[in-house]
Amino acid sequence: MTLSLYDYVSIGLQAVFTAHPAFHVLGVPISMAVVMLVAGLLTGLIVGAIPALSGPFAMAVALPILISTFGFSAAALLPTLAFLLGVMKAATLGGSVPAILFNTPGTPDAYLTTFDGYPMARNGQAGKALRVAQFACVSGDTMSDMVLITTAPFLAVFVERYMGFPEKGALIILSMAFIGAAVGASAIKGLISAVFGLFLASIGRGDDQTPRLTFGIPDLANGFSVTVAVVGVLILGEVYQAIEDLAHQHRSKTSPSPVVDRGDQKLHWHERLALMPIIGRSGLIGITVGALPGIGSTLAATLGYAIQKRRHKGAVPMGQGAPEGIAATEAASAAVSGANLIPVLSLGIPGNVAAVFILIAIDTIGGLNPGPSVFTLNQHELNPELVMVIGVFVIMMLGNAINWTLGSMLMRRLGVLQHIPPRIMMPLVLVITVAAIYLQEGKMTSIYFALGFGVIGYLMRKMQMSGLPFVIAYILADDLERLLRQGFSASGADPWFLFSSPLAVAFLLASVVVAFTMSRNPIGKTIIKNADPE
Amino acid sequence: MRLVIALAAALTLLTTPAMAQWKPSGPIKMMISFSPGGTADTLARLIGEEMEARAGWKVIPETVAGKGGNVLAAKLKNEPADGTSIGLITDQIGYAVLAEKDPGFAPGDFAYLTTVAGTQTGLVAKASKGWKTLADVVKDAKGGKKLVVGALSPMYADALYLLGKHLKVNFNIVNFKGGNSVQNAILAGDIDMGFLAGVQRRGVESGTLVNIVSGERSRLKMTPDAPTLSESGFPVDLGARFLFAAPKALKPEAKQALTKLIVDIVQDPKSKAHGFITKSLGDPVVIQGADLDKLIADSFAQAKMLLSKEGAN
Repeated sequence: MTLSLYDYVSIGLQAVFTAHPAFHVLGVPISMAVVMLVAGLLTGLIVGAIPALSGPFAMAVALPILISTFGFSAAALLPTLAFLLGVMKAATLGGSVPAILFNTPGTPDAYLTTFDGYPMARNGQAGKALRVAQFACVSGDTMSDMVLITTAPFLAVFVERYMGFPEKGALIILSMAFIGAAVGASAIKGLISAVFGLFLASIGRGDDQTPRLTFGIPDLANGFSVTVAVVGVLILGEVYQAIEDLAHQHRSKTSPSPVVDRGDQKLHWHERLALMPIIGRSGLIGITVGALPGIGSTLAATLGYAIQKRRHKGAVPMGQGAPEGIAATEAASAAVSGANLIPVLSLGIPGNVAAVFILIAIDTIGGLNPGPSVFTLNQHELNPELVMVIGVFVIMMLGNAINWTLGSMLMRRLGVLQHIPPRIMMPLVLVITVAAIYLQEGKMTSIYFALGFGVIGYLMRKMQMSGLPFVIAYILADDLERLLRQGFSASGADPWFLFSSPLAVAFLLASVVVAFTMSRNPIGKTIIKNADPE
Repeated sequence: MRLVIALAAALTLLTTPAMAQWKPSGPIKMMISFSPGGTADTLARLIGEEMEARAGWKVIPETVAGKGGNVLAAKLKNEPADGTSIGLITDQIGYAVLAEKDPGFAPGDFAYLTTVAGTQTGLVAKASKGWKTLADVVKDAKGGKKLVVGALSPMYADALYLLGKHLKVNFNIVNFKGGNSVQNAILAGDIDMGFLAGVQRRGVESGTLVNIVSGERSRLKMTPDAPTLSESGFPVDLGARFLFAAPKALKPEAKQALTKLIVDIVQDPKSKAHGFITKSLGDPVVIQGADLDKLIADSFAQAKMLLSKEGAN
């Protein structure tokens, strides 16, 4: 038996479309993965359109529920990832809806969409503005996914061929330095956040048979679970902050005047063609930014918008309702998501919060170990990881297709979600998050730990310290420690093993350069200013 | 007709021995000391599924991984001893106990039900290295080549150290977490060889990997030509047997009922668990009672040897 790439793709397609049918429609099986993808897309659209919520939030809450529903078998991975990817894809799209209709960005990156989206809506072009957003968003996303599909295998193989323990360890150090330095109010705060993450991650882990730093507490013997730490810092910290904000501020009663559609709302083919170069450019910006760890869609959106502003030649000036402005922003922020999975699938290094949850899902369920083995085209016996990853690619493309078709039908109707007040939303979020953690962990101590991590996240926000370096360092700490130990052992206990190859030295030098220069030059300052708050 | 059925049912009830009437007082918590998705985890979950289907008892699998089974054992010891808590560990628990300063339990704290399957441990290298026997490895190592070898747990690291001493070569021993990561490192060329407990089957069958020597008491099902470590003059058993244990005070009827159910499942060629074992782990290995107690005792004796001055340094 010899298996070609063609066989793998067809098995991957089967894994998505026909394996584990959830139900039948007219005798045609509808697979669980497809059902979960649609559910994820709908959830993403909805949470994206609610200003207090975001895609990563929905992913954080959904993950424990998905894992306890589908379990840990290989069959669980595709439905779980389908839902998470659906949320990731649709949240950007949903975020543009309130931005255009109500001048309220549903997600942070949609802020720039309000610049031209809301003026368009006020001019009676709301329908058209939404169509531009959808067209740009889905095109950017599709471009990004295609880059992921073509790049990740080669990057993974490159890593296998040229990188050993010291190089991989040094690369993780570089990623952490970059994330620490690039995200948040200042480089030093970001680095402190990352080191703090490393410290807490060292509890209970390590090679020794006796658990480390547990003070004899049995519940700490395996350290804090990743879900508990991540959800606590990112989601609960945010919830505490939002509750405090609610206590201080009274909701402004002035709501923007309702928009009325006037004239032709269709986005014609010649208009789409005219937008293509802008989408292409913004898409490339998004892909480049997405492939780098830590700096996410907000920076991409800012860059996309700023470059378009400089080059704008359209009939309507930017900022007064130019469709080009919406297209430049949405394409850039949407193009981040696919590219963000390049380091996840080839190296196991997450770039932003959405990627963090995808990686946690992969790690928790098992059956897919990010790295070169995933992309090995085993000809004699099926490589289930390759099938899985092809399945993931198929799901991503299918998600884009659904966003193309169903997205436009739903977007307009989502406007109503804007009216859900945060004072109802936040307590609900708190209860659902805590319940979801209990569902996965099954013990009260996990909830106490999560609430504690929430306090850490809250205090970090108070100090304008981003939680993202903390979280990514927390996730990578185990790999880093292991790689350093392994590199040390493999070298025969050479204390300079980390500097044993030019590539490793280059990564380490780059880490130092990034950490020291990021906050001291104009480009670095722009990146820091526009990087995702989370 | 109804009367006949009722009579038959009554008769069955009367003739069935008392042990079959034992029932757990609630759902059975099945603790698993291996990370989710791996071979041992899948095995435990399949057995759990089948227990539900056959006896109608509710079985809830729970992952309690870490420290070579120590985390699970410390927890299992304090669980209710009424048959509602069982755990899947291996007979290598002896090493885990002795290696930890204060594991919080002793081997006598448990009632050992039965083993269900064993590993297929072999010392594995890429076929492209050209090594067929330990002698080939020694020849290369003595030629001045630095050999980097992987251990999937600390016990294997100790064994590799002793093996190096026995062969009079120096190994740079690298610790890994589990067989998959050792295998990835072998395939990526990060290490030269390492012990793998069964995951190598696919690679061996496709010809990318070779088993140089069997780490089990017997030769490997997939490579019957490779001699065992004992046959190579190094009498150490690196194989593991997966086994179910419960807290010590477990009543005999509960122990008997649970053991019988599990043994029936793994030995039934029609069960999914049996199919999985024969595919991934060789053949079902069923050891119970005094034999199992001896197995645990042997595991301690060997662990003591591995951790002795020779092994620990």
